[in-house]
Amino acid sequence: MQLITERNIAILAVGAFGIFSVGVFCTTVLPKFVDKELMDPKPNMRPYTEQEERGRKVYLAEGCVYCHTQQIRHLKSDQKRYGWRLVDAPPSKGWEYAYDQPHFIGTKRTGPDLARVGGKYSSEWHWSHFKNPRDLGEKFRHTSDSKLQKASIMPSFDYLTDEQIVDLTAYIQTLGRNQNWRMDKNGNLLNDYEE
Amino acid sequence: MSDTKLKEHRSAYLFMVSACIFLLVGMGFGIFVALKFLFPQLGDHPLFSFGRIRQAHTNVVLFAFLLQADIGMIHYFIPKLLHTKLFSEKLGIATWVIFNVAAVGGVIGILLGLNQGIEYAEIAPPFNYLIVLAWVLFLVNVMGTIMRRKVRCFYVSVWYVVGALLWTAVVYITGSILTRYASGLNQANLTWFYVHNAVGLVFTPCGLAAAYYLIPKVLNTPLYSHKLSLIGFWVIAFTYCWTGAHHMIHGPNSYWLETVAILFSWSLIIPVMAVVTNFLGTFATAPRATRFKSAESKLLFTGTLYYLATCLQGPFQAIRSVNTLVSKTDWVVAHAHMAVLGCFALYAMAGCYYFIPRIVKRPLYSPRLANTHFWLTFVGLLLFIMPMFVSGPLQGLAWLKIERTFLEILAEQRIFWMIRMLSGLLILFAQSLFFYNLWETVFGKSYFMKPATEEVA
Repeated sequence: MQLITERNIAILAVGAFGIFSVGVFCTTVLPKFVDKELMDPKPNMRPYTEQEERGRKVYLAEGCVYCHTQQIRHLKSDQKRYGWRLVDAPPSKGWEYAYDQPHFIGTKRTGPDLARVGGKYSSEWHWSHFKNPRDLGEKFRHTSDSKLQKASIMPSFDYLTDEQIVDLTAYIQTLGRNQNWRMDKNGNLLNDYEE
Repeated sequence: MSDTKLKEHRSAYLFMVSACIFLLVGMGFGIFVALKFLFPQLGDHPLFSFGRIRQAHTNVVLFAFLLQADIGMIHYFIPKLLHTKLFSEKLGIATWVIFNVAAVGGVIGILLGLNQGIEYAEIAPPFNYLIVLAWVLFLVNVMGTIMRRKVRCFYVSVWYVVGALLWTAVVYITGSILTRYASGLNQANLTWFYVHNAVGLVFTPCGLAAAYYLIPKVLNTPLYSHKLSLIGFWVIAFTYCWTGAHHMIHGPNSYWLETVAILFSWSLIIPVMAVVTNFLGTFATAPRATRFKSAESKLLFTGTLYYLATCLQGPFQAIRSVNTLVSKTDWVVAHAHMAVLGCFALYAMAGCYYFIPRIVKRPLYSPRLANTHFWLTFVGLLLFIMPMFVSGPLQGLAWLKIERTFLEILAEQRIFWMIRMLSGLLILFAQSLFFYNLWETVFGKSYFMKPATEEVA
């Protein structure tokens, strides 16, 4: 058996490219139209401020995304682990990323997920944690196991300028706020480090 | 012909030599990354921060080593298969210069904090445009060679190369350039289209093209089945590019797209089984006494087994329930290493052992050393991936129990990272033997070799 594609380069090239482009169209172009509602920003969202964009640049340059995902998956374990004071974190929706260029959804969790981290820790805590991640401060005050206190393997970012750390923290504090989820069972907003 | 001054296969040779150098560099970065897991404060300098070194590792091993080795092998076997000479050695050398400038510049940029934030497409402008330019020149060179072929019919390897040339152009431009003009979830779709197809439609067709050439040559046996190669090629051309969304299972993407990706991940078993049956069939019909004798044949055989393993694992990982357990853990790291290191890098090494002595017209310096290299790589690889196949699901299971803190689970991984680092060192040591062997083949003055008049500067 010999096909014409084994003799004619034009037919081989057009054939190989043609059947490939079906899948390309259906998985990259089509979703943009079919899932428009999932991708477009909601009216209550705001674009990043200049400072937050500068923070995103630091996040990008330091490759934070290679250890920290930014997605609460549709899994109870994700929602509970990354929740806040016994309130489950809502799963991440596509539109929450609408202003992210590039997105930091990520594929690997060497460190914890950051999709809902905004407002969980004070900016001062972030400051000292960036300077020395082996110092977890008040977060693990209740942990008597000192070995665990030093167990973090995050690189220390003490080489960043003070300004860069402030910008980065400003960005980190925005994460997860596109859904107003930090409420107790009676609908009262829970305390937030920044407010 | 204008290329009279240049020796035949000069560009293939240059590509393969720089690939061998970058193999050591890339694996060196890999060891550094592995050490960072154990000693996070090691090399505490912005240039060597984990996030940057990790990108340097993936980009050097994927592009500077593997893609470059594949391009080099293609420059050699495409003219051979078509019974002609390369369209232009000068063009090949220009491609080599541009590609290397792009790779080195791109990686230095990454270390300086200049990256695009798209996994595997971190190399930033202008260097990613240079890679596109190099690819276009490569395409012209291969198409030119095909135009002046002396045989009528194309062998399987030629189909794969033609496919790879066209698919890679689309895949790379999408991942590296078009993603700059998209944001949010739309960009994420493009990203994972790219991430998956960088392996599936760049390295797979290039690597399989090389293996389709090398396995029958090394074993001195005709290919097992022509029909199977037809099935393998045309099904992979259709199905591979659909699977990008399986990187976001349970994530923010739409459910229908996830399901499509999972179904097509399963359909990939068809082309994979066709290819693997074809390769192993060729091994089975080869003369029994010599089929596993050389290091090349062992590398090709092991690579094929890893191809089978990684491609059967992929569909299972894409099942929603299995994905819950293994996604985002070290399991995925091991899976990626099985495909790229376990299969395609071994094919590329077999290619270097096979092609480089033929280009410099001297026998391989030491077939015994090549065997040692194979066995050390083989053992190192097993010790490298197996701990991660244990630690990944353990981590996934622990994450399901919310009473366990993240840090506690992280601390338990340390022993596995230790094994990974040590086996990585073993693999790197094996590659230094590989490098030394080829170095002596090209530059050595061994007694049984011809006088060193044909040496290159």
